[in-house]
Amino acid sequence: MTAIAPRAKPDCAHCGLPIPAGRDDQFCCTGCEIVYGAIAEHGLDRYYALRDQAAPARTTTRSYAELDDPAFDRVHVQHEGEVSRTALYLEDLRCTACVWLVEAAPQCVPGIVDVRVDIGRSRADVTWDPNTVELSQIARHLDRIGHAVHPYRGLDRDKQRRREDRALLVKLGVAGAAVGNLMLLAIALYAGMFGGMQRADATFFRWASMLVAVPALGFAATPFFKTALGALRSHRLHLDLPLSIGIIAGLAWGTANVVRGVGEIYFDSLAMLVFLLLVARWIVLRHQRRASSAAELLLALTPSRARRVTGEDVVEVPIEALVPGDRVRVLAGETIPVDGVIASGASAIDAGLLTGESRPVDVASGDRVHAGTVNMAGPLTIDVVAAGEATRVGKLVASIEAMSARKAPIERFVDRVAGRFVATVTAAAAITMIGWSFASIATGAENAMALLVVTCPCALALATPLAVTVALGRAARRGILVKGADALERLATPGTIFLDKTGTLTEGKLAVTSWRGDLDAAKLAASAEAGSNHPIARALRSYSEPAQPARDAREELGAGIAALVGTQRVLVGSPSWIRRRCTVRSSVEHWITELAQRGESPIAIAVDGQVVAVAGLSDPIRPDAAAAIRELEALGWDVQLLSGDDTRVVDRVGAALGVPPEACHGMVTPEDKLARVTGARAAGPVVMVGDGVNDAAAMAAATTSIAVSGAAEVAIEAADVYLREPSISAIADTARGGRETLRTIKRSLRFSLVYNLFAGLLAASGIIHPLMAALLMPLSSGAVLANSFRSRAFENKP
Amino acid sequence: MTTLYIVLPLALIIAGAAVAAFIWVVRSGQLDDVDTPPRRILFDDDAT
Repeated sequence: MTAIAPRAKPDCAHCGLPIPAGRDDQFCCTGCEIVYGAIAEHGLDRYYALRDQAAPARTTTRSYAELDDPAFDRVHVQHEGEVSRTALYLEDLRCTACVWLVEAAPQCVPGIVDVRVDIGRSRADVTWDPNTVELSQIARHLDRIGHAVHPYRGLDRDKQRRREDRALLVKLGVAGAAVGNLMLLAIALYAGMFGGMQRADATFFRWASMLVAVPALGFAATPFFKTALGALRSHRLHLDLPLSIGIIAGLAWGTANVVRGVGEIYFDSLAMLVFLLLVARWIVLRHQRRASSAAELLLALTPSRARRVTGEDVVEVPIEALVPGDRVRVLAGETIPVDGVIASGASAIDAGLLTGESRPVDVASGDRVHAGTVNMAGPLTIDVVAAGEATRVGKLVASIEAMSARKAPIERFVDRVAGRFVATVTAAAAITMIGWSFASIATGAENAMALLVVTCPCALALATPLAVTVALGRAARRGILVKGADALERLATPGTIFLDKTGTLTEGKLAVTSWRGDLDAAKLAASAEAGSNHPIARALRSYSEPAQPARDAREELGAGIAALVGTQRVLVGSPSWIRRRCTVRSSVEHWITELAQRGESPIAIAVDGQVVAVAGLSDPIRPDAAAAIRELEALGWDVQLLSGDDTRVVDRVGAALGVPPEACHGMVTPEDKLARVTGARAAGPVVMVGDGVNDAAAMAAATTSIAVSGAAEVAIEAADVYLREPSISAIADTARGGRETLRTIKRSLRFSLVYNLFAGLLAASGIIHPLMAALLMPLSSGAVLANSFRSRAFENKP
Repeated sequence: MTTLYIVLPLALIIAGAAVAAFIWVVRSGQLDDVDTPPRRILFDDDAT
């Protein structure tokens, strides 16, 4: 009836997590133990002082032989005289201590010349002496200190991005220098205006300003000109259009006035505007880079090497070396590296990554398997059909990247505002010009130009992308990948939220949740299942420690396992399988029915021909689910459960989470889900949270869709938001963050409206002055910028 | 005020030199990774 109470133990010496039952030492897992050993052995204990977050270490026991393969060498390694150089992708690079530990590698492994870490890209550039040490040895060392190694894919894309980043940074620097120097010149001119300045000196300063401003800004503002031209060609209105008009008009008019020797110049204000806009672009670009490296993380889900079978030989090769038609071997517990067809062997596959189903699928010779799924039970030989980017996972990653590049409606909304802005400003300038022309044409042109320059769409061009970027960046750092700003906007208004039960509210992984009968049998069951990789075996093993090693374990796939533990013959398996082998008492049958009714899968344990216990296995509810549902309700959402599972199971989950029974819908077919979502849309915004193929249609129909960690490919593709952490409270965070972001944007727009009205009126009435513009423009930009950064969207809860 | 006619171009030349230096810094890749170096300065031991 009750779970076995865990023994009181100190926490893991490496990661500080509690040590689970079934381990006798001071570590929570083998990974932590190996890493702790490796760190201590090299005298790198300072790691524990430097690090700022602890997490369980994961090591693999790979040989990394594929890194020494000539194919890998050809593609990824550069040779420079005595040394070789390559880039590696390291998992779990999290903090300062990780950087330190990895960069200390030359002290630990002779032959490594240098290791440089780029923590933003999870990349390490390794330089080594190929005569002293092999790359696989270096990889094994990095693995042993807790950072599994993958070849760094996408080097070309990195180079491309670096070129873009550098080009923008150069423009930013030029604009910055121009601002500084133009300000100095402008201050002299403004001071001279009040203090009296000789005309020759003023002319000299004006010429100097022009000589700095025109080339510097002409160069630094090219990104805006390019986008504006592109928008013009495709007959769209883009924010860069009014910006470009303002910049070009300002520069041209200023130049004309300098040459003429009369009239105002606005070079300093223009330079400030260009500089601020470039700063905003740079920040946006940096955040985008972060988001896309999160998508690359998905690619790391597939292994980087495979065992290629040629005749009798089995060689480890990098994935890049595989072509369709090759044959690979995948052992139990390994992730399948390619899309292919099983040539021989039978096993169970956990296809959770692609299908979102928590239960393993039995596969046999002739079945299709996909990269990224996990082979659970036995060795398989697979004929390669697709490898690398051609696999389903590869395509999925590409689609996520495409999605994140998609332009969001909230930005389109801003573009619409920009269109009106351009029209209004142009009209106002024309009216100003015509109106003043009755007095003097020169004054009319002067004032119209002033109007074009001072009415600045900072709030649109600067504040909105920044507010969105700040929100998306913060969200991504918390494992919430929002594909585009429109999703944020739509999440801001509460409506109905449908939660899929499996995988969203539950762990998505079997565990023993009830026990009927003899508790000691748990140990025997754990022993019998010791050698199996089946999810049921794992659930039983994590429930109890094994008693003693089992002998003669025979596993029947999809049925059960039989083994000798000590002198006792232990059978663990499905009730129907057990019934064929032992007598089953009526009390045991009663347990089985009772557990099945509660929505748990019964597993019977028989000792020496007698069933002594029944374990109820189910998918436990995530610990944070109840609190997250409370929070969503507090934000004004109507929370409903929608699941294809048995009604009893859904009701049980609903009751445990405090969702009223009328909001719990079980046995729902995909068509029903779609109908319910469409029905609810009439009443307001609908958010669909799901993870499986069965949810994909409903997700596409909903206003906004959220896929949770481990979701199926189709679900992720249909989703606007992807939660990388298996935490449902992130859904509430996303909803709150969306609302906060929209508020920030609207605040900026309101402020900007007031500013532009004020500045526009000043200019149209001819009382604006370059000094006023120089003060007003940065003030307004600064105000909207501060507003964007002040946004509390996706900040940690107080 | 005549000194201005010498000092101002001089100042602009120095500013131009600073910009050139910045461009060199960017092109040489020193600003490619701005996340790791601020962590690296915390390693004050003999790890070189």
